[in-house]
Amino acid sequence: MKFAHLADCHIGSWRDPKLKDISTLAFCKAIDKCIKEKIDFILIAGDLFNTSFPRLDNLKTVVSKFKQLKDLGIPVYIVPGSHDYSPSGKTILDVLEEAGLFFNVFKGTVENGKLKLNFTIDKNTGAKITGILGKRGALEKTYYEKLITEHLEKEDGYKIFLFHSGIDELKPKEMENILSQPLSLLPKGFDYYAGGHVHIVDDKQIEGYGRIAYPGPLFPNSFAELEKLERGGFFIVEDENVKWEPIQIYNVEKLEVDCNHLSPDGVKNKILEHFKNKELNNTLVLIRLNGTLESGKPSDIDFKEIFEYLYNKSAYFVMKSSHAVSSKEFEEVKTDARNVEDIESFLIKEHLGQIKLENLTLEKEEELIKNLMRILVTEKQEGEIVPDFERRVKEEVSRILELEL
Amino acid sequence: MIKGQVISGEFGKIIARQKSEAEIEIGELLVADSPNGKILLQVYDLIYGSQISQQNLEMISGMKLEEGTDFELFDANLRNYMLAMMKSLVTIRDRNAIVSKSLPNVFSEVREIKEDDLSFLTKPKNALFVGNLRSGSKVLDVPIYLDGEKVFSHHILIAGTTGRGKSVLVSNLLWNSFGRNFGILVLDPHDEYYGRNKIGLKEHPIKENIVYYTSKNAPIGTNTLRINLDVIKPHHFDGVVDFSDAQKQAMSLYYKEFGDKWIEAIILEKPLSIESAFRAETLIVVRRRLLYLLDLEFANNQLFCNGVFQLNSGFTTISDICKHLEEGRIVIVDTSNFSGAVELLIGSLIANEIFNKYKYYKMNGLLNSKPVVSIVLEEAPRVLGKEVLEAGPNIFATIAREGRKFKVGLTAITQLPSLIPREILANMNTKIILGIEMKPERQAIIESASQDLSDDDRTIASLDIGEAIITSNFARFVTPISIPYFEDVVKKTLKGKEEVVMEFSELG
Repeated sequence: MKFAHLADCHIGSWRDPKLKDISTLAFCKAIDKCIKEKIDFILIAGDLFNTSFPRLDNLKTVVSKFKQLKDLGIPVYIVPGSHDYSPSGKTILDVLEEAGLFFNVFKGTVENGKLKLNFTIDKNTGAKITGILGKRGALEKTYYEKLITEHLEKEDGYKIFLFHSGIDELKPKEMENILSQPLSLLPKGFDYYAGGHVHIVDDKQIEGYGRIAYPGPLFPNSFAELEKLERGGFFIVEDENVKWEPIQIYNVEKLEVDCNHLSPDGVKNKILEHFKNKELNNTLVLIRLNGTLESGKPSDIDFKEIFEYLYNKSAYFVMKSSHAVSSKEFEEVKTDARNVEDIESFLIKEHLGQIKLENLTLEKEEELIKNLMRILVTEKQEGEIVPDFERRVKEEVSRILELEL
Repeated sequence: MIKGQVISGEFGKIIARQKSEAEIEIGELLVADSPNGKILLQVYDLIYGSQISQQNLEMISGMKLEEGTDFELFDANLRNYMLAMMKSLVTIRDRNAIVSKSLPNVFSEVREIKEDDLSFLTKPKNALFVGNLRSGSKVLDVPIYLDGEKVFSHHILIAGTTGRGKSVLVSNLLWNSFGRNFGILVLDPHDEYYGRNKIGLKEHPIKENIVYYTSKNAPIGTNTLRINLDVIKPHHFDGVVDFSDAQKQAMSLYYKEFGDKWIEAIILEKPLSIESAFRAETLIVVRRRLLYLLDLEFANNQLFCNGVFQLNSGFTTISDICKHLEEGRIVIVDTSNFSGAVELLIGSLIANEIFNKYKYYKMNGLLNSKPVVSIVLEEAPRVLGKEVLEAGPNIFATIAREGRKFKVGLTAITQLPSLIPREILANMNTKIILGIEMKPERQAIIESASQDLSDDDRTIASLDIGEAIITSNFARFVTPISIPYFEDVVKKTLKGKEEVVMEFSELG
């Protein structure tokens, strides 16, 4: 038996025009690799798309790849993830499943308020596959709490469990803030637990369970992920061997600059110097700044010049993260205000004009900010249910912004 | 009902004669009406009184015992009676209670307490129910609440001999803390609070408010306790494991050079860049002790983790626990499978992390928005005992001394309070005292109580199972309470509660 385990494809995740097709490209590359490797079936552990309704151009490409797999007799088994599931059931995944392009294995019945999952059996290999979808805010946890596990655990044969959740005991330190659930919620005794949601590459044999594997995203989904992973990939599982297949789209060149004791010009020169002898063809450049500038403000660093320089060296795309760099220069704000409202009003006036919108005068801007603050500070009233509270706030905000929310 | 009449005494020792058909018990609450208001009195001793001299009483008894003489006393109720020693707790005026500063008049009648008399006992902010008011052995329908935020941050001591109801009391306190935004960490060496195989806190309807960590066979929905070795720093062993100064220095040097990987470096015998920093034997001992303590194994040049401390998992366990506490949850860590040192090491890891976080919050003005955190320590003298603290300070002693400033407190449980230094006992501003038979233990409590308990030695000795008295900076008077059975509390809460039926709308 040979199968591929993909997760977190997040098709349509990058918004920048230069990167908007990158996750689709990664998906196509992964499928091509699967075909070349003659795998028996493919697992996708959630978040195939970045939203429940992806852009049509991306969708068209993805559908054509699924069609290719179908024609070749390579079945695809999925569970929806926190990005592409929809509480209403209105998701493109349903349409694609209806078209026979893949199987959603989150299937079963409800018995006495408990969830009884059914296995989907792969015809070619006899592998028994089931799983639970991922929801936003790790709300799928309640599904696990209501899960009947006995029949799942007793079932013979090669069993695969697809899930789209973080596991408390296994998540890495840098992901301590993501919502996750305890390992004990997973049904025991499966041969392979195909995980998604946590963007890490990890594969562990866990006593009492089996192999729990996260292949990570097919393509990194953010600046920090690009920095850490540089590229995405997926697992190819053959018998007991789990092999991570990287998907290389672009080269990644990263630089972390310690701005301590440097002026804005010093930072710029350091960056330019670093890349002076580098070949940047077809490369994503990542620049992270941290520390405290000796003089000037972070906004004084001439990124325009840096970017121009890097693009002139044929970099494909340049990204920077400068939120961790600070300035020694403090601007003291003096106020004789006596209460919170006065201070708020003073600070609003101090910062007016930073939003550039047509027909937005300073007076209008001040009024808009104050009105928004007034609405957003509202608390849920006694007896008011959450949906009503949300609706009330939305209506108020939409009235103030003159937008349909 | 009239129970007696004040006849003499002094402030703190008011003597009343008991009415013949009335029965007065030690610990009973009585009320004497006075022109200044009602004086709430508590009986702390009972003695016999008689109009017949002692010599004659002995003679009468002898005549009956030795000669079988049948006799009857004239006005027997007038001649022989009981005398009750009472102290005034508070003076009640309208709905206010103030410290008593006067005595009830001679011949004032003392009567049984009524629930109306206690209308001044209002529900405080952050109310934490501790039990019902008790008058002697009679339980009144008057719930006693303490301000949870105050009592938890200013430390609670729960003292009592084995079998008097400490665990039931703690279970009740935890049960009543659900959904009240108190972060409570319970290091549970007997695995008795969660209720893995019996009724326990897991039954509470606010299920999301409890988190349970156990190292073996985690029940569904609970966490397997795994702690990554990288999380442990040399100072976590302070006051928990007795390393010598040389051993501590060796550990610090390794930490300085190898950072988070210092334990691995010691076990794998990686050399330090500075030479001859300490004797080779020192490192051998440290290595051996770490291997044993952390349940590690070194074979074929590889490090294997057999226990709770792991190389490849448990990276976020300590921070997850702190997050739960900061979100006002009850976190129970089952330490029943561990040696005392491992249990305390885990406690030290969590306590250090949460205490440092709360210090940071205070420094940055964020503390007000955080819930109070309390760490429940069973057999508290293991970390707060005089002998332990003589060997060096530990995080629990630091919390006992400074924690209240940072909203982090201890709930220390012990049957031997005398082993805890007086300074720390005095810092425990709320003491819930159950029956204690041993005089030195009672004495330790009495001497460090928030209110004057000097006359309550007998009261404490006579407390039955499920009876307690509370002395607290945040209670108006030394409050006798009855602790309800935990099972009854659970049944009462769950009565009429139906499980929410879920819909699995996305199910294919």
